[in-house]
Amino acid sequence: MGGFVSRGFKRRRADGGEAKRLPPGQYAEPGFPVLTAGPTPRVDLAEWRLKVEGLAATPREWTWEEVQDLPRSVFEGDIHCVTRWSKLGTSFAGVSVDTLLEAVEPRPDASHAVAFCYGGYTTNLPLEDLTGGKAWVVWEHEGEPLPAEHGGPARLLVPHLYFWKSAKWVNGLRLLDHDAPGFWESLGYHNHGDPWREERYWGD
Amino acid sequence: MDETDLRLDGNALAGMLADVFGFEMTVEWGGCSGCGAVNQLGALLVYAHGMGAVACCPGCGQYLLRIARGEGRWWLDMRGLAWLQLDEQARMTG
Amino acid sequence: MGRLSWRVATVAEVRQETPRAVSLALDVPDWDGHLPGQHVDVRLTAEDGYQAERAYSIASAPAGERVELTVERLDDGEVSPYLAGELRKGDQLELRGPVGGYFVWEPDRGGPLLLVAGGSGVVPLMAMLRQRAAAGSQVPARLLYSSRTLEDVIYHEELDRLAGAADGLTVTHVLTRAQPPGWTGYARRIDAVMLEEVGWRPGERQLAYVCGPTRLVEVVAGHLVALGHDPARVRTERFGPTGVP
Repeated sequence: MGGFVSRGFKRRRADGGEAKRLPPGQYAEPGFPVLTAGPTPRVDLAEWRLKVEGLAATPREWTWEEVQDLPRSVFEGDIHCVTRWSKLGTSFAGVSVDTLLEAVEPRPDASHAVAFCYGGYTTNLPLEDLTGGKAWVVWEHEGEPLPAEHGGPARLLVPHLYFWKSAKWVNGLRLLDHDAPGFWESLGYHNHGDPWREERYWGD
Repeated sequence: MDETDLRLDGNALAGMLADVFGFEMTVEWGGCSGCGAVNQLGALLVYAHGMGAVACCPGCGQYLLRIARGEGRWWLDMRGLAWLQLDEQARMTG
Repeated sequence: MGRLSWRVATVAEVRQETPRAVSLALDVPDWDGHLPGQHVDVRLTAEDGYQAERAYSIASAPAGERVELTVERLDDGEVSPYLAGELRKGDQLELRGPVGGYFVWEPDRGGPLLLVAGGSGVVPLMAMLRQRAAAGSQVPARLLYSSRTLEDVIYHEELDRLAGAADGLTVTHVLTRAQPPGWTGYARRIDAVMLEEVGWRPGERQLAYVCGPTRLVEVVAGHLVALGHDPARVRTERFGPTGVP
């Protein structure tokens, strides 16, 4: 790549004192960039459903009102995008995925899940990354309703993995006994996506 | 701001596709495997960001091309293209 | 066609066009020429190796090894404040191109030609008009150019001059935010009525090129098709969310 340097050009934001909170290769971003791979789905709340289906004893779907009645759970912390920005000290609110899974009783052979979304996006996760207080379905960001461009009405939130796993416009989770690579995972991105191990791409 | 603001045309991918294919791809023709519409790649609707890009059929909205780039590699999913025509005259040089 | 490799260009001149827009005249060794409407990819590299890449439309008609870009500074941009604020004569820039054969017009493609610009979308259209003038073309051409205020109009004097040459070009300005006293021109966002008044009738088979912020481009392209123009003769270059037209 040669040694060309553009005189006087600097990266927009420096790490500063947040260095310890940042996974390798990330920088702190005060904003909240919108990354989208398609048209923003327009979902009528009356038609919106959250489904948990597949290898479960009692698959269920919740309407918007029903899901709002579930025990509220808040996440406060950091999120990390594979494009190298991290947003530190943000918050989301919704329902814990643990609550949803308890309601459907996953079968013993359920090992993985695929999150499927309005608009067709998918992402895959091992069940253990969705349980134990590590994942949510959220509809509020920093106290406001989640904007459509950030995944509203509701998105999956799995903040310990790269943010492409926090699927926008989530429609449901399908429990499986095998792994099924989703949209980015089938296009060169890492199947797991742990930012602390820099699992960005296939083969990392 | 919503995705309307972020939508681009196929020419937004001209540089990346030139890297991958070595052809000026925006003038090349392709057929949609969904609706059969035939378009020059420059006419496709594109959503692009740091992870990669998708180019959609202006007729039916199906993905024709998905492309991701990272660490000196590209990944390409062209299942949405039923066929792609490459014209010798559009070949680029080094 | 073009070349793939990155090349180092030298800034020969920096020219402030408007409060937010700067033209950069670049000397590019071994430049093989380009077609009006094409763009280049520009790459910036910081000392720590961080790189940022953006595409910029070429503003100039082909002229040897000189390539001009016009960059509008976006307040929260990463690259445009550097190009339109920091860069000085003698500095160097990495670029690649030209790229983009789709959004291209040359005089031998004929017309009549309708060019619709929103803000900095005028840049590739200016390359087309400059080439039209350089070639002595009389292809009937109309530029409909939307800006916020009069001081935001890029290439204002040059457009006046080109339009005054009586060679079949008319330039119509639209000022959407503020107009000077006595302004009798359009003072609202481009709509179907305006496009009908300024453009040609569908029977005349105009070639239309629309460039600017995505929203404006989509609204205009939609109106043109709804007015009966052939979609295959409407070419668009969406610039993304580059601010309100």
